[in-house]
Amino acid sequence: MHHTLHAGRWAAMLIALFTSLSFAQGSAPAESAKPIAMTFTERVQICASCHGADGNSQTNNIPSIAGQPRIFIENVLVLIREGLRSNEVMQAVTKGMSDQDIVALAKHFSALPMQSTPGEPDTALQQRGRLLASKLRCASCHEANFKGRAQMPRLAAQREEVLLTKLIAFRDKPKPGTDTIMNATLHGVKDDELKALAHFLAHVR
Amino acid sequence: MKIQHAALLIASAFAVASTALAQPAAAPPAWQQGMGDKFKDSKLAPNAGRNTETPASDIPLDKLKVPAGFKLELWATGMPGARAMVRGDKGKIYIGTRGIGRVYELTDDGAKRTSRVVVDKLVQPSGVAIQGSTLYVMAIDKMLRFDDIESNPSVAAVDMTDKFSIPPEQHHNWKYLAFGPDKKLYVPFGAPCNICEPPEQYAQIRRYNPDGSGMEVIARGVRNTQGFDWHPKTGELWFTDHGRDWMGDDGPQDELNRMPKSGLNFGYPYCHAEGIVDPDVKKADACKDVTKPVALMGPHAAVMGIKFYTGDMYPAEYKNSMFIARKGSWNRTKRFGYDVVNVRASADGKNVKVTPFLTGFLDTKDNAFSGRPTYILQMPDGALLISDEQLGAIYRVSYVGPAKKK
Repeated sequence: MHHTLHAGRWAAMLIALFTSLSFAQGSAPAESAKPIAMTFTERVQICASCHGADGNSQTNNIPSIAGQPRIFIENVLVLIREGLRSNEVMQAVTKGMSDQDIVALAKHFSALPMQSTPGEPDTALQQRGRLLASKLRCASCHEANFKGRAQMPRLAAQREEVLLTKLIAFRDKPKPGTDTIMNATLHGVKDDELKALAHFLAHVR
Repeated sequence: MKIQHAALLIASAFAVASTALAQPAAAPPAWQQGMGDKFKDSKLAPNAGRNTETPASDIPLDKLKVPAGFKLELWATGMPGARAMVRGDKGKIYIGTRGIGRVYELTDDGAKRTSRVVVDKLVQPSGVAIQGSTLYVMAIDKMLRFDDIESNPSVAAVDMTDKFSIPPEQHHNWKYLAFGPDKKLYVPFGAPCNICEPPEQYAQIRRYNPDGSGMEVIARGVRNTQGFDWHPKTGELWFTDHGRDWMGDDGPQDELNRMPKSGLNFGYPYCHAEGIVDPDVKKADACKDVTKPVALMGPHAAVMGIKFYTGDMYPAEYKNSMFIARKGSWNRTKRFGYDVVNVRASADGKNVKVTPFLTGFLDTKDNAFSGRPTYILQMPDGALLISDEQLGAIYRVSYVGPAKKK
């Protein structure tokens, strides 16, 4: 573990984060969560505390961000900061981030290497997912190796449960602020097919 | 240890938040229709916008070109996604966006420009129109009015949404808005797909009284118009329209249309451009009674803002000619557009001549682009402002004198 932050300051930032969270979940106005000034290193540490020190998440429902396209990371952070995406934790984290902070964080995490998902895939499930990915033409935007490009995220080796949650959300809940292509692509795809797709993509190396 | 604990807390909060948001599925899409098997390995995809501020020093002004005698300057920066611009009676400029959900207000003190966000968290609020000092903002799912906003910067919005019968589909339903010479508000409702039989409320242009009453559908068969203006002499509506995708690099081309009367059909989805019959959505006599465009504006060019020039600053030959921004292609292997053109035509739409006016955003050698000119606003002195959606910037083009002889 490499704790470069002063322990007191670190605690203050986490408290600020969770204080703002409890307000965000209640009815108090959002302004009660005052952003505190942070250095770039401190911001990276905040990200790493959930998404993994090297940007490869070890935690359920927390996406890996290492090796994601720079523009994709920028867009997600801006959309959450602007309140266009519902994610209370990330809204608290992005509060007070300047555009320059976002550009720097995106550059940092996009440059980190992604790690393969540990363990062996279920080959039957993987094959079903592979066929579906081909049928849905996922690779035409996300690239043949599913590493993503520009505004289109890396799917390869993303956490399986994260992929499944996102796929279901795209199918069921059109997201404001983005193109509608993912909603259209996944329209009518059944849950067990999405499970196979998530399994396949999580195990792309 | 603390850190791990925090991560778990956050993870569980996120899981709860995501489940709570599940909603019923959307209507069936037409996305795959029109993307035939020969494109299954195509890597063409919409260009990524930029949602963060581009510093002035990163804007490649030295590469941009205007005709001799004209001067281009960087007039305002720092407004990610800046699209259509309108100017109030008191000189403030309001600017719509799409993905970033904001409307900006720009104030010019003569020496420098400063901007603020008037309203945010909207779903693609690209439609802005102004009457006097009353600003109208239209997002995909919302219509807002800000009374006398130039004098009352913190005025609360009046929500007019219920008055405008806005249909639910998002695709191609980000707006361009404008008041016509008849003081009515003109609003397009694009086809909610690349190519499909559009449901009744789509692929049309409507006009309303400013309060939302008196709605009329004035044109049909319009796929996705993102710009219109009225001829200074005839008062007729002219509008740009985007051609469909996934029919190859060469077309069908984008259109410049003229609407001499209401009730015309402009062809979509059966008949495109100069009379190209759609290969996917078919009917007999596909082009019968279709009003053809006055000009073809290039394949996948993404024709955006159109402005008839009525100022006195530019040389006389520009009077009543059009300036049209072409934001540039995505569904084409060799990029096309990324410029502003000057279009001259007779009032009946004949004798069209298209000439480059602002160029240099497109690098044909690397098939790359630096900026995307999107809309045009004529200032009281006759200079043109041109917005760049990609770089969140506004350029000013003035005429400074006769071209120097070499």
